[in-house]
Amino acid sequence: MFVIKSIQKGLFGLCLVLATASVSHAQAFAYPEDTRPSSLLPFFADDMSAVRMVELVFDGLVFKNKRGDFQGALAKDWTVDPDNRGIRFILRDGVKWHDGRPFSAEDVVFTVNAAKNPKTIFTGSGKFNFIANAKVEGRNRVYFSFRRPITDPHSRFVFKIIPKHKFNGTAINRRDAFSRKPIGTGPYRVTRFTLRQITLEVNQDYWSPARIARVVMQHTPDKAAQVNLLQYSGGKAGVQAVIFLPPKNIPLFENSDTIALEPYHTVSWWYVAFNHENKALGDPVVRNAIVTAIDRDELLQANLGRGDILTGPFTEASPFYDFDIEMREPDTDQASDMLQKAGYVMKDGVRSKGKTKLAFRFVLDKEMPEQQSLFLGIQAQLKKVGIQVDPLYLDHAAYKETVWKREKYDLTLNVWSFEEVEDVRPLFHSSGSLNFINYNNPKVDQLLNAAQSAADYKTYKRQMKALHGLVHKDLPYMFLWSLDVYSGISKRVRKVFIAPYYYFTTFREWELKR
Amino acid sequence: MNRLVGFAGVVSKRVASAMALLVGASSIIYLTVRMAPGNAVDAITPMGTPEDIKQQLAVDFGLNEGPIIGYFSWLSRAIQGDLGDSLVVAMGSRVVDEALPAYWITLRLSAVALLACLFIAFLAALATSHHQRRSGLIAAPIYFVTTIPSFIMAVFLIHGINSFVRYNVSPDVIFTLDWYALGQPSDSIVPTLIGGLALVLSDGLFVDYLNALRAELIKLKTSQFIMSVRSRGASIWPHIIRNLWVPLVAGYAARLPLVLSSVVIVEKIFGIEGAGFLLIEAAKVRDLPMVVGVSLLFTMTIIAVDLLASIVRIVTDPREVARGA
Repeated sequence: MFVIKSIQKGLFGLCLVLATASVSHAQAFAYPEDTRPSSLLPFFADDMSAVRMVELVFDGLVFKNKRGDFQGALAKDWTVDPDNRGIRFILRDGVKWHDGRPFSAEDVVFTVNAAKNPKTIFTGSGKFNFIANAKVEGRNRVYFSFRRPITDPHSRFVFKIIPKHKFNGTAINRRDAFSRKPIGTGPYRVTRFTLRQITLEVNQDYWSPARIARVVMQHTPDKAAQVNLLQYSGGKAGVQAVIFLPPKNIPLFENSDTIALEPYHTVSWWYVAFNHENKALGDPVVRNAIVTAIDRDELLQANLGRGDILTGPFTEASPFYDFDIEMREPDTDQASDMLQKAGYVMKDGVRSKGKTKLAFRFVLDKEMPEQQSLFLGIQAQLKKVGIQVDPLYLDHAAYKETVWKREKYDLTLNVWSFEEVEDVRPLFHSSGSLNFINYNNPKVDQLLNAAQSAADYKTYKRQMKALHGLVHKDLPYMFLWSLDVYSGISKRVRKVFIAPYYYFTTFREWELKR
Repeated sequence: MNRLVGFAGVVSKRVASAMALLVGASSIIYLTVRMAPGNAVDAITPMGTPEDIKQQLAVDFGLNEGPIIGYFSWLSRAIQGDLGDSLVVAMGSRVVDEALPAYWITLRLSAVALLACLFIAFLAALATSHHQRRSGLIAAPIYFVTTIPSFIMAVFLIHGINSFVRYNVSPDVIFTLDWYALGQPSDSIVPTLIGGLALVLSDGLFVDYLNALRAELIKLKTSQFIMSVRSRGASIWPHIIRNLWVPLVAGYAARLPLVLSSVVIVEKIFGIEGAGFLLIEAAKVRDLPMVVGVSLLFTMTIIAVDLLASIVRIVTDPREVARGA
């Protein structure tokens, strides 16, 4: 006992000494991210950590405020042409780039021209297609004409503006040094960019300066470490927020005096994908039996915590979710009967029909949270009905190559995330760009084509609900769940409002109590 | 004159073999990364990116050429001092600009850890070279602890210290530790110190050094010329230290590769942004130029230290020229 106390005292003294060797971050708002931002050049900010950081460094012409209305950011005002074929923006006066150069209409037109330049290779270029032409009309006025009439066109100008003077031409290269040394007009400027940490300092010239002096993003892939950092002194030291708290950790903070749970809206759902090229998985009976054999609620509760079990490709908050569709209840006996009746007979613990054996390769991404325990649960449940699944764990790059590019898998577990509402056409249409499951159902194609040319939103919504019913029956995927999403934020942080998807849109209003 | 010619011959032979080794090592690393599943384009593009965009990016990243042609293109640029640009981990930066500062951190950590190890081993060797009984008592626990692999030692230290801080040091009451938790990004020197400690205390490095120095010390102490120095009543230590110099340098050079390989894992565990950390991150996302560039720095260091050790041996012992060092 004496020895343990002595060691403790010694370590405590050591900590005291080491504390003096530390650099203080106490007044910064620090938060961990699972992944490192790939690029801070807005065109190439494809991952969520980059999307969030870009929100702090750059501004668009407009942004969506807390009430969900569009409000001017770099634009002071705008007028839409009566025929909805053009829009004129009046820009805010006195705006400066982080390097002190004045912002002007030239920068806005440059951004659009850069996005439309075919040599600027990025995935979001389609968002600029509606613009036919961009024209500077003086230092603070810019006019855009459209290819076709656009309703509420101002809502499409949330894209971030980049500075013309930092580039040699409109062909922007992904590897431009700007991606690590960005110059924006946003409330924060980047002062340090290392492999694991990005530090932002407040932009005092901003039209509505932010109230927190410094923001530190640190790359912390381990979720347990993120939660540990938040718990340490309730966000006084360590980090002040964890963007996504794993549901199983939510109870830790439910009655906390120091950490608040902030719900926020995301559009994402988990799934097990079936490769329809596999002969057995192409059989609807097998897919149905798999879904019936698996107790999704049990898997969710045991591994992830809270969420909603789904019957189709929409979250319960989605306008397209059809609540009339009945949930498949887990029933191993029923699943076994289905397979037996379809001629799949049990032999050595695995069912087969002729040469088709119900033994599958289940490919998993090592970076996916809780994938191992989820897989083991699925494996155990499928074994009961005579279906064998063997895991193949791959690192993220190899997973992408194997599953998405080469489609060398039978089953896989993953999550789909969407920006605002679910656009599922690329997932289920036979020619969809995200149809890596090789799904081909003429009825689904027909419905998706009809929805694409729907005259009004009401019709579109009705067709999406019909799609929900159709895929629930046909099971291109096993739809699992959508999770309850909470951020854990220190109660020292006030006036918190988390913007859907972009997260930090109103961060300049947040306050950090000393 | 003959000695100088022999010396130049040995050094030029070593430099030539070093060049061949560099080309061999770089080709193996380049081809291994190229042939691994996944590439940098897949790593940075979201699912559903149109194939034409991917093709254009592959051209931009220099991944459209086959592995063999790609390697020779890379080699021709590398000979001119251009190791290329990072494709993913430090997109927008040249490999050299990112890899060299990171490598300096790694080199400093490895070299200082090895020096600390050498110093402690030297003291321990002095303390244990007199009495067999005392040496057994001291050596047994040292052997037990220091033969643990470095990654286990690093995990042990990181969990031990983090848990201690988590449950015993409340920043509300006393003080804030800005390096907490170990493994997180930090400007503090603390993670480097603890990481260095993990290197010193593991992989049998210390025991290996201690054994070598102890054997050398016992040999020297029982040698005839030390006996004669002692019989004259003069201090033996200046003579012993002078004669220990060569095995110390040779031992340092021989063990540096081991430490450099351990440091890769230790940096990753402690979140120290050195070359080892960079290498692992780059390999995960198939950042080919970065992986090859950083690996080459490791290879070059090992070759350079070996060459330096040979030169020291040649300078201090002319017989080495005859043996071809």
